[in-house]
Amino acid sequence: MLYLYKKLGFLLLSIIFVFLIGSQKLYAYESHNVKDYLNYLTEKEVNNLQRSIDKIKEKHDLELVIVITDDTEGKSSMEFADDYYDYNGYGVGDDHSGLLLLIDMNARVAWISTTGSAIVFFDNSKIDEILDKVTPYLTDGRYYNASKAFVNFVRSDLSYFYRALSMLFSLQSILIAIVISLIVTIILSISSKGKVTVDSRTYEEAGGFKLDVVKDQFIRETTTRVKIETSSSSGGGGGGGTHIGSSGRSHGGGGRSF
Amino acid sequence: MHIFFFLCNLFIREEGGISMSAVKEYRCPNCGAGVGFDPILQHWKCSFCNSEFNKNQLKTASDIKDNLDEPVEDLNLYHCSSCGAELIADDTTSATFCLYCRNHSVIKSRFSGRFKPEKLITFRITKEQAKDIYKKWIKKKIFAPSIFKNKEEIDKITGVYAPYWLFDCITNGYIEGQATRVRTWTSGNYKYTNTKYYRVVRGGNSKYSKVPVDGSNKLDDNIMNLIEPYNYNAITDFSMEYMSGFFAEKYDVEAHEAEMSMRKKVEKFIEDRLRSTVVGYSTFNITQKSINISDCAHKYAMMPVYLINNKYKEKNHIFIINGQTGKIAGETPISLLRQIGFGIGLALIIWLSIGFGGALFV
Repeated sequence: MLYLYKKLGFLLLSIIFVFLIGSQKLYAYESHNVKDYLNYLTEKEVNNLQRSIDKIKEKHDLELVIVITDDTEGKSSMEFADDYYDYNGYGVGDDHSGLLLLIDMNARVAWISTTGSAIVFFDNSKIDEILDKVTPYLTDGRYYNASKAFVNFVRSDLSYFYRALSMLFSLQSILIAIVISLIVTIILSISSKGKVTVDSRTYEEAGGFKLDVVKDQFIRETTTRVKIETSSSSGGGGGGGTHIGSSGRSHGGGGRSF
Repeated sequence: MHIFFFLCNLFIREEGGISMSAVKEYRCPNCGAGVGFDPILQHWKCSFCNSEFNKNQLKTASDIKDNLDEPVEDLNLYHCSSCGAELIADDTTSATFCLYCRNHSVIKSRFSGRFKPEKLITFRITKEQAKDIYKKWIKKKIFAPSIFKNKEEIDKITGVYAPYWLFDCITNGYIEGQATRVRTWTSGNYKYTNTKYYRVVRGGNSKYSKVPVDGSNKLDDNIMNLIEPYNYNAITDFSMEYMSGFFAEKYDVEAHEAEMSMRKKVEKFIEDRLRSTVVGYSTFNITQKSINISDCAHKYAMMPVYLINNKYKEKNHIFIINGQTGKIAGETPISLLRQIGFGIGLALIIWLSIGFGGALFV
């Protein structure tokens, strides 16, 4: 009897063990943020990416999604990326902040869709920078490197020191520093000998000034008119052109073919 | 005007045989030591026994009556009435110190005849206060070379009675010009500008009294103008006793030369005064003016100043402090090294704060 119990116990343990391994495997394939429908990535690669994405989400309140597919359900890369993000409930916070990288193998387009605070954070020039990093790998068929580059770019761009460094070595901040310091130095260099403290009344005897002649004669007048130019404002900045997806949420982003 | 510091021209030779009465020295009636004027007490104080005296006490004590209306023979050789050493002062030095015995000496001839001043304002600021004023001022000049902040240089500060011409005059002025009044408004899609043109005339006269003009070529007129004004409530009649304890200069700019400078000042005063009565316009440009100055009268006066003279790169830089009000003026040269250092430092600070500060918000 005891023996049977032991055997059963062993069986039970084995089942649990197998189930555990299976569930782990299941989790790897069913990665929440890395959706590789074409199996370009190995299990290990998916796990690595997911771990990085989890860390970013925890630290910066921003959700990253990577989708590799060749079936965009007849939608454009932009529409598919936006809808995929919206209908699968991605995003952090009320504004559903996050980024989605769509690798559309059908159109051979890499599209990055931004949502919520990411729209402002990753404006057009940032999106271009990301695409600069990502598309060369895609052209070479190195999908893991491309995904890694996307995640790494977002992570380093969010880190304070990286941002500080990139700000320091931008042409604008160097120019601003030089110009301000030049102006201040020049102003301080115009060392005054001293302030003039004498005015036209200093040596005037009290009541010694008499005004004899006061004439104010009107001569002529002119009136001119200028048409007011109504400046047409070109669609709101910040994120450089947002659009509204089918779910009614607004997205930013951009893409490039590879 | 050429700046030249007269102290360099002051030296002493031994021996000589010229009348001692040409030099006036005020002695303490109690102990016989030299007595100098004290700016805080506004009295004379013996530096040896600390006795204080007013002007009358000092006058009674000094036996010889000073009649300055008669010119006293002017010489370049004087004897210290205390120790007998020979003082050689330059042409305009009127009060000085004996370099041997540190006694105050007043050269009578330089205050007599046509050089007799009528008016005087006494020192209110002490030498120590003047030093503090200078230190505070030079501290703000961040590009000033370090020599200007040297204690030894600041200690060389000297109290000097500077010769001034004070002018009284009546001035008639007339200005004429075009003034505009501009009004803008918008109506519909148009912005309208209405400009009304006026011919504006102002005429008036003013009485000016005691307009000061620097009477010494040694002191830079531009800097002297900046330490004005003196408070004339404290003006008194000249008396030689006040000179004791300070250096003094006599004028070397004649009254008629000084009058030219005064006219320029006064012409600007009346023009500004008339212009200030043109109000309620957007613009006003003078097209015609005429100014007439009459009834000029002048008085010769002694006004207190403190001088600091610094040499930097072979050039003299003079700082003048008003000995009554403490107002300071002077030209500080700029040290290129300090300028570059400051510029680079500031640029670095701004650059780093843009980078690290900006990264917080982006």
